[in-house]
Amino acid sequence: MPENLAYALIQLVHNFGAVAVIGVPAFALRAEASADADARLRWLVGAAWAAQIASGAGFGAVSLHYYGQLPDIHGVAVGALYLKIACAVAGLTLIAAAGARARGSSAGRGRLVWRVLLVLGTTALAAAAFLRWFS
Amino acid sequence: MYLARIALLAALLWCLTPAWAADEAAYVRIAEPPDGDTLDGFEPGKLVYAVRPGPKGDHVHVYVGGEEVGILRQLEGSYTLGPLPPGRQTLCVKVVNKAHVPIGVEQCVEVNVE
Repeated sequence: MPENLAYALIQLVHNFGAVAVIGVPAFALRAEASADADARLRWLVGAAWAAQIASGAGFGAVSLHYYGQLPDIHGVAVGALYLKIACAVAGLTLIAAAGARARGSSAGRGRLVWRVLLVLGTTALAAAAFLRWFS
Repeated sequence: MYLARIALLAALLWCLTPAWAADEAAYVRIAEPPDGDTLDGFEPGKLVYAVRPGPKGDHVHVYVGGEEVGILRQLEGSYTLGPLPPGRQTLCVKVVNKAHVPIGVEQCVEVNVE
């Protein structure tokens, strides 16, 4: 069925995005990369958060296209969805701010950015479980 | 060549899908309460149902007066309704897909709550 294929392709992007928003900050914290490599890794996480937002919206778009309505979620699931969106927006904002202030930034501040990104990714992934099963 | 084989296999599966779908026509049947029944708002009523989700469906959502009140993953059984406000109420069971989107297969009954 075409809608299942569409959902599956979007889920593919969403799953790999989830891996990146947690895996890259965890790697960066351990690797202690150069400033240039650090900046490239930050943009990779930024792209992953953007992919999360786009694919999340994609689920809604596929539902609208095939059934004329958005997923029917309530209560805990809505809270979890808002939390995921907040994490994505915060992650992108932090990456943009860190990129703008990269020059002259200390190593300690860089590690703090990675820690916050790791917390945001972990929180979003945890929220995803509640969104999945409380819907 | 490899991609062409995959495309051919996908096309073949696509063509076979309607045959499976016909065998698994989706439905929802609410056995209790019957349409037009009168319920005591203070007594927890039971919604007895049976569902075949069909090829597009996955599980069901229960609605009272348009508000979702429960998620059922068993395809046959009962759901205990909470306290209901007095007056006419519409109870619905809707089949939804894995993304929680109602696929258009549902049954609703109207009850009087006293």
